[in-house]
Amino acid sequence: MLDHLSLMVTHALLIAVFFSFLWKRETGERWRYFLKVFGALVVGAIVLGWVMYPFPHS
Amino acid sequence: MAEESRPIGMSLPLPVLLGLAWLVPGLGHVLLNRRLRAAVFFVVVMVGFLLGIVLDGELMIPRAGDPLSYLATIASLGNGLLFFVARAVGLGQGVVTAAAYEFGNTFLLTAGMMNLLLVLDTHDIATGKKDW
Repeated sequence: MLDHLSLMVTHALLIAVFFSFLWKRETGERWRYFLKVFGALVVGAIVLGWVMYPFPHS
Repeated sequence: MAEESRPIGMSLPLPVLLGLAWLVPGLGHVLLNRRLRAAVFFVVVMVGFLLGIVLDGELMIPRAGDPLSYLATIASLGNGLLFFVARAVGLGQGVVTAAAYEFGNTFLLTAGMMNLLLVLDTHDIATGKKDW
């Protein structure tokens, strides 16, 4: 259950919720900011993972 | 019409308020009548911290010859009371061989840094730099 992808998504979720409530005041802008941060973290990590895929790990 | 009462936090000396905000995640916001945000912050930091412990992460303390451990210690100490309680009962020792050790560290350090940001946010609210 706690595979790396789930943990990464959980981490992104916590970060996105935290900063939405820390930096945004209204509900609407909180939702927009949450989706932006959450999406950037999850999609960014997956894209970065694929970019690094061709490189050898040893 | 009932007047909104002055938050308890406003009558406390600022260092005391900030100290309380550091000790318990969200407490500074509770004392300043920001209850919804306090609840959200408490849950987020607690979940991050507990996941870090469950995943065999390490609550860092300074190690000789490892300068980065000092930075990590500051982030770990950011967890406030949680840091001291967990260390006192033997949690957060870190299991380097555990598969999720690095993830655990990430959650613990992130939770601590988030709590430190909450202290700064408490400061901004208490000093009037932030009005919500």
